[in-house]
Amino acid sequence: MPETTTSPTRPRPGQERFVAAIEETPLQAIDAVDVGEVPENQWREAWKRLRRQPLFWISAVIIFVLAVVIAFPGLFTNADPQFKQLSDSFAPARDGHPFGFTQQGGDVWARTLYGARASVAVGVLTTVLVAVIGIITGAVAGFYGGWVDTILSRLSDIFFSIPLLLASIVVISVINNVKPDRGFWLSVIVIVLALALFAWPQITRQMRGAVLEVKNLEFVDAATAIGATRFKNLTRHIVPNALAPVIVTATISLGVFIVAEAALSFLGLGLPSNVVSWGNDLSDAQNQVRSGQHLVVMWVPATALAITVLGFILLGEAVREALDPKGRKA
Amino acid sequence: MWWYIGKRLLQTIPVILGATFIIWALVFLRPGDPILGLFGDKPASPAVKAAIEHQYHLDENFFVQWLYFLKGIFTFDLGDDFRGQAISTQLQNAFPVTVTLALMALVFEAIFGVVLGTIAGLRRNGWFDSTMLVATLIMLAIPIFVIGFVFQLFFGVKLGWAAVTVGGDWTVSKLILPAVVLGIVDLAYTLRLTRTSVAENLSADHVRTARAKGLSPGLVVRNHVLRNSLIPVTTHLGVNVGGLMAGAVITEGIFNVPGVGNLAFRSIQQGQSTTVVSVVTVMVLVYVLMSLLVDLLYAVLDPRIRYA
Repeated sequence: MPETTTSPTRPRPGQERFVAAIEETPLQAIDAVDVGEVPENQWREAWKRLRRQPLFWISAVIIFVLAVVIAFPGLFTNADPQFKQLSDSFAPARDGHPFGFTQQGGDVWARTLYGARASVAVGVLTTVLVAVIGIITGAVAGFYGGWVDTILSRLSDIFFSIPLLLASIVVISVINNVKPDRGFWLSVIVIVLALALFAWPQITRQMRGAVLEVKNLEFVDAATAIGATRFKNLTRHIVPNALAPVIVTATISLGVFIVAEAALSFLGLGLPSNVVSWGNDLSDAQNQVRSGQHLVVMWVPATALAITVLGFILLGEAVREALDPKGRKA
Repeated sequence: MWWYIGKRLLQTIPVILGATFIIWALVFLRPGDPILGLFGDKPASPAVKAAIEHQYHLDENFFVQWLYFLKGIFTFDLGDDFRGQAISTQLQNAFPVTVTLALMALVFEAIFGVVLGTIAGLRRNGWFDSTMLVATLIMLAIPIFVIGFVFQLFFGVKLGWAAVTVGGDWTVSKLILPAVVLGIVDLAYTLRLTRTSVAENLSADHVRTARAKGLSPGLVVRNHVLRNSLIPVTTHLGVNVGGLMAGAVITEGIFNVPGVGNLAFRSIQQGQSTTVVSVVTVMVLVYVLMSLLVDLLYAVLDPRIRYA
């Protein structure tokens, strides 16, 4: 067997399968390509485009500040969010308490800072859970087709047809009856499960559609040709190329879930009242709003919530622009 | 066409069965004895309790109870709730309010969303477009109940332009403020969808042709841009009717509207299982039928689509 290649140190993926020696002289140019060179992939490209967008940097700043507040709320206030003194009821702002006090005499600013943790925990955990369920079910349904697809699609139709808010109210009220006393994390998990149980079909449908589009593209055939198994094809080649629209939806829905948690708290079905959260503070503030006095109790947590949600919506928009080549024309 | 409608209607059956089953199972899991509460402080006589349980089929197993509920749906006789009020009567009282509210919200978001979205799309990246972009982001980011309270305070209490709460004797004029609040979040979506769609269609070949042959700009927008741009907007609005009715839980709570949302919320809290499942079933039906209607409308709006 004559040695015609320019001595490749190791066989490239797939090359070890060649049976007959082939005349490779014209291929020398290809062989000269440095294997170690990282190819320009979709994500690297997207990151380049993302960096150029002011929207992305605005959202990045918001999310960074949010992360700092969640990690070290004590940096911005010395007050204890749980400390309440009735003599301070609706007391105006004073030194160390920049926004005054709630009806029960808690510090508005401290409660808003510490409340970020619960609200963001619900948003992030629900998004992650929904994304994982949706990506797996959607990818499996789209890739394998047949009866698997039929079952998963009908199941997602059923869950999609039930209104999210009503369904989560039912779930939470059931659990409230089973186990009314819950600690912080258990309460968060209950809300996350109640929201995720009926929110996954959106991602499933999107992922299924994207996988159906990608799975017949030529590069999948190429991967099969160099010996990729069906499963490896799905996980290594199809899913990463079908993820873009799902990531955008998931990022934006993070904000939606934070709002949903606040809405559930407003109905008295959110986190228990001893947990400091924006939803609970807003829920407590509703009586003040009716009388039109001491509105600061509502404005501070409402603004914090709105800026947070805005941060995630903007991030989603920026990612969409970066990932979607169609949007680049604008 | 008729074949398509028939096929779609058949496909909705498993969805409705599945959805009622899930909600029924969830409500069934709720612990507590709804009958025991009827006796108040008095000890329950076992014979009376057994008789009442038999009346509500509570002595049957879970699956049989669900079948009884399905029978009720198909015979239009949902029976009574645990206080002896007919569920059909409660639904008949509550649904007209919520349907009116949801349709008013839909009209509001459709008119404002399409008009403002079209202007923003035609002058893309202009000052109006930027203003609308910021406005929609704010609408999306503020929770609906905060918007509701602020509107209630400002337009209802301070300015006195609208009724502060609706109450039992509801009228269309009292529902205006709740409808605006209900529609406002979705207005943001409608506006942005219209804007994107209009902006995309403006650069389409057929629009350039229409301009090139000398058609006036107004006619180009009306006949060539809008007609195409409104197809996705119609889909969104149609499918959203169900969402608006479900979202009314919050709005109805703020403005004390005696609608389905209030009924559902009260029934969930009181463990009136059949009422809860009935309300959700009707909502699922609304969603499924609206999706079908939207798909059929598609064929009218877009002649390229034909249902064989």
